[in-house]
Amino acid sequence: MSGRKETALDLAKFVDKGVQVKLTGGRQVSGTLKGYDQLLNLVLDEAIEFLRDPDDPLKTTDQTRRLGLIVCRGTAVMLVSPTDGTDEIANPFIQPEGA
Amino acid sequence: MSTGPGLESLVDQTISVITNDGRNIVGILKGFDQATNIILDESHERVYSTKEGVQQLVLGLYIIRGDNISVVGELDEELDANLDLSKLRAHPLKPVIH
Amino acid sequence: MLPLSLLKTALGHPMLVELKNGETYNGHLVNCDTWMNIHLREVICTSKDGDRFWRMPECYIRGNTIKYLRVPDEVIDKVQEETNKSRSDRKPPGVGRGRGRGREDGSNTQSKGIGRGSNDNKVPGGGRGRGGHGGRGGGRGGGRGRGA
Repeated sequence: MSGRKETALDLAKFVDKGVQVKLTGGRQVSGTLKGYDQLLNLVLDEAIEFLRDPDDPLKTTDQTRRLGLIVCRGTAVMLVSPTDGTDEIANPFIQPEGA
Repeated sequence: MSTGPGLESLVDQTISVITNDGRNIVGILKGFDQATNIILDESHERVYSTKEGVQQLVLGLYIIRGDNISVVGELDEELDANLDLSKLRAHPLKPVIH
Repeated sequence: MLPLSLLKTALGHPMLVELKNGETYNGHLVNCDTWMNIHLREVICTSKDGDRFWRMPECYIRGNTIKYLRVPDEVIDKVQEETNKSRSDRKPPGVGRGRGRGREDGSNTQSKGIGRGSNDNKVPGGGRGRGGHGGRGGGRGGGRGRGA
């Protein structure tokens, strides 16, 4: 039982590493993961928020603001990924259209 | 297990699903759970338009989260086979607003 | 067949996940749990409009933000095998423990509500314009959009 109920990800390996977090509602922050709990509440240090396009709040821009030390409420966390190795890339799905 | 007038009777039948974002997905119901998450096999999406006929996009095997499902309906395959989708025009559905 | 059994069977397989906000994630399923939380590896994230792409080594996605998962067709055949196997492995019926004492008076018909229910906020307004998800293999092509 306990084995199955466990969460799908062990955040331990991300501690003291940079993570990127997407929150419900569209906010996106990144920072150094200092701690977490099983409810996915996260402590991020030196966090920055990626500001969003005022015309389309679902889009983030490259503008940021500094948040410092923050707690992300677990219920609002949608997605966690390591900052390291995360890069914007060109369309990788280009394939011969209509072929 | 009592599922009441549930989806059990539709398993292995072709069903039509309307999702909260206004898509219409047709496929074979292979399974479901308490949360109305469903498995659709050999599924395709029907994209409606007022300008051209219905486009069918092959999707394959899908798990659709119950949260995102508005309507699940039985599909009469015979009736459906007699539809000429290329002549059918319709407004696309708007997404559900919460 | 339960959707979560299918998902579990899909461990190690590539899949496409669309979130309620319209973003899609293509990656290999590393792990999943009973809340449909998933852990993907070698992920490509596509923005809602299908115009921006990110590569990430891995990511963790909370189950309740998922709209749907697209799983390779062959996975469904593997589930069949597994359920059959686990069925034969299972204890014969009748060995399980009882369901506890019943109530005779019927005054308390309400169940205690064991369901956990999600206490999370929903994402407001699901995505409309769905751009190219960039299909795996031949599947679906680039940007469709709905041309309102």
